Amino acid sequence: MKERIMKKIDTSKRNFLTGSVTLAGVAAATSVLPISIVNANHKDSSPKGLPDFISWKDRNALIVHSDKGIETHRSAIGESLITPNRNIYIRNNMPTMSDTQIGDRNNWKVSIKGVKNPKTFSLAQLKKLGHTTMATILQCSGNGRGFFAHKVRGSQWKTGAAACVLWTGVPMKLVVDACGGVDKDAVFMTSAGVDHEPTGLDPKKAKVERSVPKKVYKDAMLAWEMNGVPLPNAHGGPLRMVTPGYFGINNVKHLGQVAFTTTESTVKYMKSSYRISPIGKKGSQYPSCWEMPVKSWITRPTDETGTVKSGNVQIVGVAMGGMKKVRSVKVSIDGGQSWKKAKFVGPDLGKYAWRQFVLEANLTPGNYNLASKASGGGKTQPELRMENRRGYAHNGWKDHSVNIKVV
Amino acid sequence: QADSEKMALGLDVYNNKAACGACHILKAAASEGNIGPNLDILKPTEEQVKLIVTEGLGVMPAFGEEGILTSEEIDAVSHYVFTSTNK
Repeated sequence: MKERIMKKIDTSKRNFLTGSVTLAGVAAATSVLPISIVNANHKDSSPKGLPDFISWKDRNALIVHSDKGIETHRSAIGESLITPNRNIYIRNNMPTMSDTQIGDRNNWKVSIKGVKNPKTFSLAQLKKLGHTTMATILQCSGNGRGFFAHKVRGSQWKTGAAACVLWTGVPMKLVVDACGGVDKDAVFMTSAGVDHEPTGLDPKKAKVERSVPKKVYKDAMLAWEMNGVPLPNAHGGPLRMVTPGYFGINNVKHLGQVAFTTTESTVKYMKSSYRISPIGKKGSQYPSCWEMPVKSWITRPTDETGTVKSGNVQIVGVAMGGMKKVRSVKVSIDGGQSWKKAKFVGPDLGKYAWRQFVLEANLTPGNYNLASKASGGGKTQPELRMENRRGYAHNGWKDHSVNIKVV
Repeated sequence: QADSEKMALGLDVYNNKAACGACHILKAAASEGNIGPNLDILKPTEEQVKLIVTEGLGVMPAFGEEGILTSEEIDAVSHYVFTSTNK
């Protein structure tokens, strides 16, 4: 039975879920966490207000699921490609580190292992090593979870656990070269954050450590700036790993170590969390949330932006290719019965950023269902979601369609 | 089981056996843990609490699957958290 499901997942999804499937048994974690009372370093003033650690964000642009899960409104993703920092979503596994916990930012340390000459760099040293800027999409694995029909644990994101960001930092390739190159038997690049340390919790359960295929280091970078300002603590400051084309969890925040390893990390955040398994199933034999699929959605007009005046309507949205450049995007105004090719507008910031698209449609009064469907790397968005236990990696176009009323 | 009995058991499980307060903020229990979501903001349904207490999520243990809490205790703490966050 398992093989059949694996085959179903593998064959139909292999092209997008190219993660290696390690058939390691699932270690039964039976110990209770050594729980210690933690002094809250972020007091939340009003129940539905923004928590202090992101009081600088724009409340109106955001949906507060909780103080650890905050989503960008569909129409607040922005229409000039780059999502403004004050509108960008928050998904915290560990609490955001405070300034006092971080200390002297230029003296922040990251250790590099699994290389010919293992080294520890301070942020100041990294800044002398190299410099680049890259646009990538930051998207939570669970973006779109809110569309799933079965009961799914976790924040019920719709489209807003996603942003397009300009990162500035040093290419990982230069860091590797400065350490004499990667060990030849390494298979993974394994990044670990330090944001679990202040909690005193068991690192096996709390450390956010993620392994990705080694090849990712060629495009990856260590970022200390986000959209032109020093990387905010809430987004992993002062230094985070950026794994272009890979789901958010792999872009490890508050980065303390990068190690080139022969095996995947064995912490919970790698071994059992973020695994794409059939409903009712779980385990590390299933693919991990790695490569993002081709995807698009309309940001205006939507049910959020109210009734639309009849006549010429600009239907605007974002489209991404995942690991490959997005080639085209089609828009339907009749729920997918007919499609028209939309135009890409604005600059092309590279295959890891999304493109802005627009379709001009002349709409007479009535109700419409608007949908968009992107293509890239030989793949096109499917109509339906890929059912899975935790509601990950949703790129089905039907669920992402919107209903509008034209008057 | 009278509601007050269930609420009392729920608070006891919250404070002791599961020590939820170590990771969560909940005004009714005066807990200030800052690892997991603030429950007063999250306002989960009873069913959502039951599902997450049973199966865990991220660093949160699977109190049900790992046999740490009985189903009666899970029902009580789920009822307690839902009722306390929906006053």
